[in-house]
Amino acid sequence: MREFLVSAIIGFNDFVLIYFLALNAIYLFLFFLSLHEVVQFVKRTFFSDYQQILQSDMTWPISLLVPAHNEEKTIVETVRSLQAVDYAEFEVIVINDDSTDNTLKALTDAFDLRRLDRVYKRSIPTRPIRGIYGSLAQPGLLVIDKERGGKADSLNSGINLARYPLFCSIDADSIIEDNALLRVVKPFMEHPTEMVAVGGIVRIANGCEVHEGRISTIRLPNRAVPIFQVVEYLRAFLTGRVGWSVMRSLLIISGAFGLYRKSEVIDVGGYDPSTDTEDLELVVRLHEHCRRKKMKYRIVFVPDPVCWTEVPNSLKVLRRQRNRWHRGLLQSLWDHKRMMLNPRFGTVGMLTFPYFIFFEMLGPFVEILGYVTVPLAWYLGILDTGFLFLFFLLSVLFGVFLSVAAILLEEISFRRYPGWMDLTKLIVYGVLENFGYRQLLSLYKVKAFWDFVRRRRGWGEMRRKGFIKRPSETTSDALA
Amino acid sequence: MYDFIVALIWASAGFFVLLMLLILVNKAWREVAERRLRKRRVQLEPIFFRYVTGTGPIEEHLKQPLRPSDRVLVEEIFFDLGRVVKGSVWERAREAFERLGFVDHYISRLQSRGWWYRAEAAEKLGYIGSERGTQPLVKHMDDPVGEVRVRVARALGRIGTPEALDYLVEALRDPGRWSAIRVGGILINAGEGGVERLMKAYATLPFHARVAAIDIFARIRSLKASPLLLELLEDENSDIRARAAFALGATGDPNFAEPLIGALKDPAWAVRAMAAKAVGRLKEAASIPTLCECLQDAEWWVRANAAEALKNKGEKGSQALLGMLESDDTYAAQQAVQMLQESGSLDGMIAQLGSPDKGERQASLEFMARLVMLRRTDLLTEMALNHPEASIRERLSIVLGLRRPTAWQHQVMT
Repeated sequence: MREFLVSAIIGFNDFVLIYFLALNAIYLFLFFLSLHEVVQFVKRTFFSDYQQILQSDMTWPISLLVPAHNEEKTIVETVRSLQAVDYAEFEVIVINDDSTDNTLKALTDAFDLRRLDRVYKRSIPTRPIRGIYGSLAQPGLLVIDKERGGKADSLNSGINLARYPLFCSIDADSIIEDNALLRVVKPFMEHPTEMVAVGGIVRIANGCEVHEGRISTIRLPNRAVPIFQVVEYLRAFLTGRVGWSVMRSLLIISGAFGLYRKSEVIDVGGYDPSTDTEDLELVVRLHEHCRRKKMKYRIVFVPDPVCWTEVPNSLKVLRRQRNRWHRGLLQSLWDHKRMMLNPRFGTVGMLTFPYFIFFEMLGPFVEILGYVTVPLAWYLGILDTGFLFLFFLLSVLFGVFLSVAAILLEEISFRRYPGWMDLTKLIVYGVLENFGYRQLLSLYKVKAFWDFVRRRRGWGEMRRKGFIKRPSETTSDALA
Repeated sequence: MYDFIVALIWASAGFFVLLMLLILVNKAWREVAERRLRKRRVQLEPIFFRYVTGTGPIEEHLKQPLRPSDRVLVEEIFFDLGRVVKGSVWERAREAFERLGFVDHYISRLQSRGWWYRAEAAEKLGYIGSERGTQPLVKHMDDPVGEVRVRVARALGRIGTPEALDYLVEALRDPGRWSAIRVGGILINAGEGGVERLMKAYATLPFHARVAAIDIFARIRSLKASPLLLELLEDENSDIRARAAFALGATGDPNFAEPLIGALKDPAWAVRAMAAKAVGRLKEAASIPTLCECLQDAEWWVRANAAEALKNKGEKGSQALLGMLESDDTYAAQQAVQMLQESGSLDGMIAQLGSPDKGERQASLEFMARLVMLRRTDLLTEMALNHPEASIRERLSIVLGLRRPTAWQHQVMT
């Protein structure tokens, strides 16, 4: 029995080592790919002539879709910030998904809305719409009040009412930068016939100050949990998504900020309300649809149109969010398993799917089991202390290296966190996240896998603190 | 294995240290350089301002020769100046660029291997407007990088060489819409001269460039292009027909109503939709009956655009929309309701409920009854609850069946 256990542990440990090396080799490859792309991107951005695009009436108009469920704290600020963006022609459509708080009232009061009898084409089936609100004074704003159907259903309702050929999904707790639409639409202008979807970067607004719907002061949050997420987001967006996008295998466009060609989305039936991560599912479906039709298409990520969003401040909320994200990933991988290693789906089938299944899906298991079996092997005397220490050191060093690499990309390109203190904090947290935070995320993913197997569904509650307002604004509000 | 792991650790640690150094050195260097540039700008700016507003060559004003690192700063100062001044002051700045060797520097940079250097050099030559840059720029019209070609064409456009417009039209062949927008911007600024060149080249352009050319005609709103646009209304490609219709509408000339009314009956729905949009921009009423027919089109976009066009037709359009409420086609009627709401006509009809004139009240009531039949009562319901005038709230409630009228109310209302 002991012999079997020993050989099983040795076998698994060898597997962990190979797995670890393979995964980090992929990360390294993605980093170098991203480094090259980001440097090129910064050069290209210098010649972008955004002002001319802004003034041209040849630029495609955009419908901004903002699904909202119990967002009374941030929704008015969000809409104001959207109305102020630099873009020639756009409309804002807020979809109130049966909020139980005062989301609808906050909107009708702030923008003097009234009910309208709007005729629209029901291209995608959705839950019934209770009312459509608009204002003669603000023809570019529409609010849809509908029965509860979830975020995907809300977005589908928005698509049905959207007037323009491109639509942009934006979370209600998010603020996009003034020039974000100009930057995110650029790939559509460069490749008008091929571009299907473009994702922008999502940055963390916790800790930042907001004034009149705009981020006025960029600062890192004070609490550890959101700072860890800042480092994680930098790594995921600047090294992960940029790299996958270069390989034309981008599988995720964040629901917080993504621009889509409406006709293609309608062709694939819109967002799927039965999944937990409608953004991921839609992108996978678009890939499948375009590949099946043998279309020449592009789905890309652009690293500088910025959307600022609030992230969980506590581990409890973070656990729920990550559980949903991972369940959604598993659902989509399962629903589209036919794409796995299928040459018909190109790099998506041959590269991205295997990566997501072997590393994103199984990775947390391997990591957690590794944490058990490696010390066990040491305890049983199969592994010497020196090797255990070295392996641990290597895994930590590599993790730190990847985080710092993402910070470097940020520093040589966009530099949104200008202060020395912020930079130091980012580096320190990039090191610290390897001692607990990363392991915690793996545990959340293992739990999510279990929930997926048990077919548990649901979003869980995401408590919002609301954006931090500038002191003067808060005072004047209080006085008023 | 042991050694392999150790080697990996050393490699990772080495990379980590390297990255840290890169981050720190990059940040520190940038901050020092920015501080130095700010300081130097404070020294140089007054000298250059004195030069552009004074006399004598630049060398007389500079007490010491410029350092190589001052080049970026001098460019910045002059280009900032160029945004606010024109005429003789800018001429002085241009002269300084020549004398300080900037133009030669940019011309030599056009030969650079890095495309961004070539693009930057073309951009700056165009900005300075030096005619010495024309020939070197022309040589780069066939640069392998599209971004450089666009910059070169734009620079030539800015310099104002007669051939520049031809180069700009050539640059339209670049397949990206991004390029088309930028080139289009320059051709639009060139006005009628640009139209002539585009019309001449149109037949030889590839499809995407033709599309861009029609969009530019639409943007310029040039009547000169109208004969070509009228011809294109008969083109075999429906995309071209649709864009031509839109461009004709953009001129706002009611003389094009007739061909556009014809386009409202085109077999391709995209053409009908764009023709409806175009007709909506013309100040004429002849198209109203056909637009009413389009309100019953099988395609939603045609109906939507036709309704919008009727809304734009003012009083006669509103009357037509009111008439459409009686249509057997429910979709057409509902589209008409939406437009009447958006144009504010519905508010007028609601206000009429409180009118002392019996005829007006009657017309308003009939209108409300029709809305109730069509089940477009969202706005009416809200008005019944929130209208500032109590009498109107009461009458709307009765129309909507929210309460029974008293005998007295019945008498007043009818």
